[in-house]
Amino acid sequence: ALSTRDRIQAIRDLPMSFKEKKHIRWVSHKQIKMIRKSFSQTLKLWQGAMKSIGGKFGTSVLTYFVFLKWLLMFNIFSFLVNFGFVTIPLLVYKGLEILTGAGYFKYTVMYYGSYSNESLVGYNMQLAYFFTIAVYMVLCGISLIFSMAVNFKDNYVLADSASNSAWQLLCTWDFSVTNEKAVKQRRNNLCVQLKESLSEMAQQDLVIYQQCRVFIFSLHTVFIIIHYLYLFYVLQQATENDNWSLLEEAKTLLVPFVVSLINLVIPLFYSLFNKFEHYSTHRKQIYALLIRNVFLKMSILSVLCYYWMSKVPAKGSGWESMVGQSLYRLVLFDFLFLMLGSFFGEFLSNVIGTKLIPRMGVPEFDVARNVLELIYSQTLAWYEPYERYIRHFISSSSVSVSLTHNCQPPRRSGRAAQMQTIFIFLLFFPFFVGALSIVAYTAWSLTPSKSCGPFRGLNNSFSAVDVWIGDLKNITGSQWVVEIYNNVIRSEIFYFLITLIILVIIYILWQVTNGRKELIRRLRQQIVNEGKDKSFLLERLQDLQKSIPNKNTKQKKQKGVCCENYFMLTSLCM
Amino acid sequence: MGTTASQLSKESLSEYQELTFLTKQEILLAHKRFTELLEKHEKQQIDARAPMGRITTLPELKSNPFKERICQVFSTSEQKDGSLTFEDFLDLLSAFSDSATLEIKSHYAFRIFDFDDDGTLDCADLEKLVNCLTGETNDAKLSSTEMKQLISNILEESDIDKDGTVNLSEFQHVISRSPDFVSSFKIVL
Repeated sequence: ALSTRDRIQAIRDLPMSFKEKKHIRWVSHKQIKMIRKSFSQTLKLWQGAMKSIGGKFGTSVLTYFVFLKWLLMFNIFSFLVNFGFVTIPLLVYKGLEILTGAGYFKYTVMYYGSYSNESLVGYNMQLAYFFTIAVYMVLCGISLIFSMAVNFKDNYVLADSASNSAWQLLCTWDFSVTNEKAVKQRRNNLCVQLKESLSEMAQQDLVIYQQCRVFIFSLHTVFIIIHYLYLFYVLQQATENDNWSLLEEAKTLLVPFVVSLINLVIPLFYSLFNKFEHYSTHRKQIYALLIRNVFLKMSILSVLCYYWMSKVPAKGSGWESMVGQSLYRLVLFDFLFLMLGSFFGEFLSNVIGTKLIPRMGVPEFDVARNVLELIYSQTLAWYEPYERYIRHFISSSSVSVSLTHNCQPPRRSGRAAQMQTIFIFLLFFPFFVGALSIVAYTAWSLTPSKSCGPFRGLNNSFSAVDVWIGDLKNITGSQWVVEIYNNVIRSEIFYFLITLIILVIIYILWQVTNGRKELIRRLRQQIVNEGKDKSFLLERLQDLQKSIPNKNTKQKKQKGVCCENYFMLTSLCM
Repeated sequence: MGTTASQLSKESLSEYQELTFLTKQEILLAHKRFTELLEKHEKQQIDARAPMGRITTLPELKSNPFKERICQVFSTSEQKDGSLTFEDFLDLLSAFSDSATLEIKSHYAFRIFDFDDDGTLDCADLEKLVNCLTGETNDAKLSSTEMKQLISNILEESDIDKDGTVNLSEFQHVISRSPDFVSSFKIVL
């Protein structure tokens, strides 16, 4: 007998009408009380808004908002962790005294610089801070890897090569689109796409576009070099003094202003180039745009990090506070520019497009660009964890408002699920790894400043753990912790072994996958052969039936069953 | 058991929850929207049927190119006129809900695309499908050569046993390789 849950699932899975299902349920009669987990439904944020966006723009644009929601959950979790382990003990101990003082922001509890390095009663502040950050980063990494793996398996491995085919386009008609105009537009787009997939797209225009491409590529490199140089120049100019004259303060604002400006202007150029370039598929177009924007943002972040890590500690005491302040300013400007961009930029575009130059049309919602903005801000959040939570909320609502008023759905329907994979991959690979390495570098190599932060007085932040282990040696019961620390975490052989094991596992799985692909190919061939056998046998049967009319109807049914078995075999091998 | 005047009884509600993929809130909302479709005298009837014409005025179905096919597939009426009782309506929403499995969705998608209800998708079905999805205006329509080419491409890709038609297993096989299907085969009230 099946468990009640399995029974219910089995009944639900039957593609029969309601009456038939009721009958089955009554026949296998058992009184059950089911506690339905509907609380997960009530916890779904923004359910109504997401439905209306999906209704008008389709699922590929919805991926942006799904991604945003995912990031928000992520950040809420990290906020809770940080708040619980670091801020609350500090608050409890110090009370509200910290909130007073000159330079209000510099001394608030949320701010790294003011953390004391004393041991609170039984609670080692340094260790708490270090381990909180370490555990948070590790958890981030694990959850990113996990979701990447799941997404990859679902969207790339199973999807295989039949991606742009006509059949796929037809079967994935988006039933959730409810707006009349949107449906009409989708139908037109689908027609165009079908026609394109039928005719092999032109080879003739290739020569001209290749020439253009070389020219545009050189423009790119020039752009990047220019902005590197300018950034360096600006950074040199902005000196960090404690002199609070107005001019000095204005100078410090110059750096974030320039950075945000570059962030805003150059992607627009990229989008412009993208329109003129010609790509064989829509996907390649999006990927090209994404790669360029990723490089731009990575280069900006790396220049900034290099400056902070190498130049600033040489300047003086309290460098952590200064870095924190610069980050805060950067974030603030980024946020301001984003709001301005989405309200005024797209609004202006809309006005110009409809009233002044009707030929241009309404701006499309550039999913790729907006997602990259999101990832960029998330990376900044990893540097300084407190500043971002409200921002996400506000920016998401502003983007959705500007979206509904100003934009039209993208002209070609993107592949929603695969885009989701790409976004998560992008989040992980360059940005998270970059942030992780910066944090690791800070923890291992940089000397904490002597006057602020919880790690004052140590050689580097990691020594906090060393000190703790040293203390533990004296306590008899915890020898095993010291043992683990010395033999596992500090020894190189351990990491080498782990890497080796992982590589071996990957190789084995890869070989298994190849073997299965071969099996699938052979089974398909077998099905075709069986089909030919079946039609041959049916012909023979028909010939025989003409002479002997009433036998052999049973055999026909058996042939049908054989064919179904082969389908089952192929589905087992997926 | 059926629906009583304006409220669902507790037993019906739990029964519906077990037999469909819908949650309690979704069932209650569906009940509210369905009773709005009925005439005054029909509201008191048990097992009242809403005709296809009224069902297709629902905003979620109004612009859907498959609205008539959907009503016909889920209808249990003897006259085959596409009218739905409340339970048929719940069936519909359950198959199109977020938590429905791939098998259910692909099964019903197959039946919706099978315009002549013969259990396979042959050339005529595929042609109707393409026309349904690309629109009926003259410039949007595919020419007959393009249509033939398209259908032969489709059959080449999905007809595994090469018999000229796509049956349910082949259809489900193709669908299982398309990760976007589950998220696009969705209608939410």
